[in-house]
Amino acid sequence: MTLPLLSVTLATLLIGTVLTFVAKEKARYVALATSVVFLLEVAALLAAYTVWPGPVNGSPGYANLESYSWIHLSWLSINYTVGVDGISLVMILLTAFLQIATVVYSWEETKEPGAFFGLLMLTCLGCFGVFIALDVLLFFLFWEAVLIPMFFLIGFWGGPRRRYAALKFFVYTHVASIVMLVGLLALVFYSGAKSFDFSAIYVAAHGLSPTVQTFLFLALFFGFGVKFPIVPFHTWLPDAHVEAPTAGSVLLAGLLLKLGAYGLIRWAVEILPIGMSHLTPLLYVVAFASIVWGSVIALAQRDLKRLIAYSSINHMGIVLLAIAVYSQLGLLAAVLLMFAHGVVSALLFMASGSVHHTFGTRDISKLGGITPVAPILATMLMVGSLASLGLPALISFPAEFTALLATWDRLAYWVLIPLVLLVVTAAFYLWMMQRVLFGPQRNIPEKAHDIPWFETAAMGILVALVIVYGILPGFLVNVIVNSPVYGFPGFP
Amino acid sequence: MAVSFGIVGLLGTRLKKLEYGGWIAVGFAAAAMIVGLLVAAAEMLSPGSYTDQSFTWLHLPGSPGTFPNGFSLVMGSLVDPISALMLLVVTVVGFLVMLYSIGYMHHDHGLPRYYAELSLFLAAMTGLVIADNLLEFFLFWELVGVCSYFLIGFYYEKPSAASAAKEAFLVTRIGDVLFLLGIFLYFTVYATAGGGAGWAASGFKFVSGSTPFLAGAMGGNTPLLTVAGLMMLAGAAGKSAQFPLHAWLPDAMEGPTTVSALIHAATMVAAGVYLLVIASLFLGFTPDDRLAIVAVGGFTTFFAATMAVVHPDIKRVIAYSTISQLGYMVLGVGAGFAMVGMYHLFTHAFFKALLFLAAGSVIHAVGTQDLFKMGGLRKPMRVTAIAFAVGALSLSGIPPFAGFFSKDDVLSSVYTAAQSNPAYWPFLILAYATVFLTAYYIFRAWFLAFSGDKSRDPTLPAAHEGPWTMQVPLYVLSALAIVAGVLPFTPSFGSLFSLGGATSVPPTYGTTDLVLSSVSVGLGLGGILLARALWGNGRVYVLAPDSALQPMRTILLERYYIKAGYDWVGLRIVYGGSRVADFFERYVIDGTIHGFERLGTKLSNGLREGQTGLVSDYASYVVAGVIGLLILLLFVAPLIIASLGGP
Repeated sequence: MTLPLLSVTLATLLIGTVLTFVAKEKARYVALATSVVFLLEVAALLAAYTVWPGPVNGSPGYANLESYSWIHLSWLSINYTVGVDGISLVMILLTAFLQIATVVYSWEETKEPGAFFGLLMLTCLGCFGVFIALDVLLFFLFWEAVLIPMFFLIGFWGGPRRRYAALKFFVYTHVASIVMLVGLLALVFYSGAKSFDFSAIYVAAHGLSPTVQTFLFLALFFGFGVKFPIVPFHTWLPDAHVEAPTAGSVLLAGLLLKLGAYGLIRWAVEILPIGMSHLTPLLYVVAFASIVWGSVIALAQRDLKRLIAYSSINHMGIVLLAIAVYSQLGLLAAVLLMFAHGVVSALLFMASGSVHHTFGTRDISKLGGITPVAPILATMLMVGSLASLGLPALISFPAEFTALLATWDRLAYWVLIPLVLLVVTAAFYLWMMQRVLFGPQRNIPEKAHDIPWFETAAMGILVALVIVYGILPGFLVNVIVNSPVYGFPGFP
Repeated sequence: MAVSFGIVGLLGTRLKKLEYGGWIAVGFAAAAMIVGLLVAAAEMLSPGSYTDQSFTWLHLPGSPGTFPNGFSLVMGSLVDPISALMLLVVTVVGFLVMLYSIGYMHHDHGLPRYYAELSLFLAAMTGLVIADNLLEFFLFWELVGVCSYFLIGFYYEKPSAASAAKEAFLVTRIGDVLFLLGIFLYFTVYATAGGGAGWAASGFKFVSGSTPFLAGAMGGNTPLLTVAGLMMLAGAAGKSAQFPLHAWLPDAMEGPTTVSALIHAATMVAAGVYLLVIASLFLGFTPDDRLAIVAVGGFTTFFAATMAVVHPDIKRVIAYSTISQLGYMVLGVGAGFAMVGMYHLFTHAFFKALLFLAAGSVIHAVGTQDLFKMGGLRKPMRVTAIAFAVGALSLSGIPPFAGFFSKDDVLSSVYTAAQSNPAYWPFLILAYATVFLTAYYIFRAWFLAFSGDKSRDPTLPAAHEGPWTMQVPLYVLSALAIVAGVLPFTPSFGSLFSLGGATSVPPTYGTTDLVLSSVSVGLGLGGILLARALWGNGRVYVLAPDSALQPMRTILLERYYIKAGYDWVGLRIVYGGSRVADFFERYVIDGTIHGFERLGTKLSNGLREGQTGLVSDYASYVVAGVIGLLILLLFVAPLIIASLGGP
């Protein structure tokens, strides 16, 4: 028996989180140390994965698999089952990077630092759990464990309308969670799996009739989709972002949106491909609606954070589209884009948070010519914007390129919709940069100066990722295509 | 690979943000030029050689769908005759412009940024030239675009510069997404056809051969191939500022003149033409594509020249001229003679860079771009006046200057094509009419700036020549603007134009060619004489206010209202539409859901009052909430399932 690396990592995060809560003023050191250890463990996981021999033929086996019986009844067995594949590993890598960047960015948080850093850690812990859980109950526990710290981060450390935003966030995602849970439970009981274990469900679900599969997929799609978020269930996102503290926005956009996409791939697409095939037109419509709506509304925004939030809706729409085309290329693109969007949106939210601290507003119509005052901040915002609009050699390009290529492959000229919207996306980012970064200086406070070292460092990490993975996406690609799903029978 | 070293070296300047970083950038540009010259020399010594080196960027194993043998994207460098030729142009002009910048830019702030961006541009342009597949080409294509964006907006505190930079990026972006669609077409449609599966697995590389790869694989003429070719044309039109995506280039003159010379005259804007050349040699165009290309090129040639006729700004006159000349290149490629387009690209790079740098000297000396304020500069600025005249003669197609040979080759290639397809005739006539307009507008600019006794605006400073760093590039480019046209007549240099089978580079000058040339030279001389009659010796020709030509002049000065139209669409339709959508978002979508939210608020009142800030309290809520929910669902879920019909 090899080292139970996943459980060790989980334990690290758990202990780190608890220590952070109790460390009060010293919380940031504990949080940073935990994050670094976490990143090293993730590196070990990735290293182990590259030599992993792959699943046994026909089974959806996962690497680093651990399974312990938890609750065992005659009609149901619940296990502590964890394991990873390429898709979850890429998401875990994203979690580790964003955790470090967020902790560093919030280095001088003074309002209840113990609780603040503790909640950040708890959010990341929950995300990690979601990405490794291969048991319905475990998955759901972690899923909820993400929701609640985020609720408090928005509600306690947020902006003026934080109560409203936190509640809206909570209600939306909670309703979705319930639908998702009902869907998952129904999946277990209908398929007769008698187990909450992913592999058991996967095998049992083959016996389901197409109609049942379709209904189950629909429930799961709604449950996961609100987290994406999909139009028209997206309005919680801009409000949550505007009111959330910067660190909260970063985790929200960088990680929480990915949970929805990851959940859809893991628990719906992999298990219920036939159900999905019956709902493909719906998925396309929703994806196109999100792409168009997110981009078009973003063009009308004046608040920097709202603009980025709507741009996120557009990008997650492309993720959904890439999942919906259901091909090897499409899935690869979806996961790459999830990673890319995680990094880029984190960078952009950090930059807009720094704009807010430095210049006292995020209103694009009031800002102007900040480049000479804060050249480093301006550079960060520019790199983020250029990456987000899909500039080649930056992280989003390989992802968007493969996503659109996969779309063309399946949908032919419908690909013109996302392509045209790429122009609109470029338009609002360019317009924002013209107003905020360039032109004559407007409303610059007397004491405005460039950002402090820890904000530079946090964004520097992300900029490095944007460039490194933009130039060398091959590493991520190799990890992703090594996932068991690529060997599933019938996966085109 | 030596060329890769050149790229890395150029990127290195980004790190060295020293006071005299400019000289470092010049040094690297010189090194790149030497590499460029060596590569071209090596290519001449072994004509037609084809050196390709690459590594896999992204690989997907085979799947039963579209890519049965797998799917690879590669990054590599390909040196063949056309890329060697283009490399020569890019590095030589790049070096000269860098050198010129030392003198021209020394007053400006932000010089490290300037040299870093210019170096990055040169590196990206080098990458574009030696790219060995369409995706890599696209990658560098976008990178040169973003460098152009930065450099147009170099004086970013000026609102007009910031706006022009955005406009340039956006307009070319429209072409770029269509280009991307074209790449998708080539990648998927041809990956399943003929030898295409292997093509996909090996990374969609440009394949050398006597017939274009896809034309061979697909039989040369299918609707999809036509569409793909049109998408290439759209991409090229965005980059090379062809109608209807031309509006950004005149506004791009907001950047420093050096940038205009390098990026918006000699190299980047020519990348669109280079794309068409590559596409026609390696992928192949259908007859319909070629007609569309000829139509776009021919129309743009004439259309842009008309706007140059009335413009008072020296840089913008040259910018319209660039659009017009790019139209000639497109015309040559569309007529089926790709290397003829390359020929004109080659000569144009030198004489147009010369014109811009000479104009830069003038602007540097008198501090204005308004031709009507200048005058009499011939005396204090002899070198510049002669250099500008050399460029103008070359542009007008007067023998033995370089432009004569290449432009006539374009005209005769269209004439040849028109023999088999009469639809080309109108565009040949437009191209000939443009010869007259070209000679007229460029000599109008020359006479306005240099002839006469003194400047028309007495407030202008006394003019003087720039420092040696500015003069040397003028000498070198003047020499090139004279000899570049005859270079292909030498066998070794001519071999660089030999790729792609039978084309008539250099021109052979049979009887037909001589007749065609006489007509164009006659038109050119006529244009010069008209310019001299109206503007010579310091005269200023004022159009009578009641002249029937006044409305025409207004339309030309307003650029046919196309820019205004685009702005209107952008502001009213796109932005207005998004405001309406935003209203809908706020009041309809969110409003509908507000009912649910109020319900949620009431239900959650207990939770809100419970916000004590104590972590232990929260933790217990979390646990209690989760357990409560689970109990609920374990009992409720079976009921729901039962109501759905049972397992």
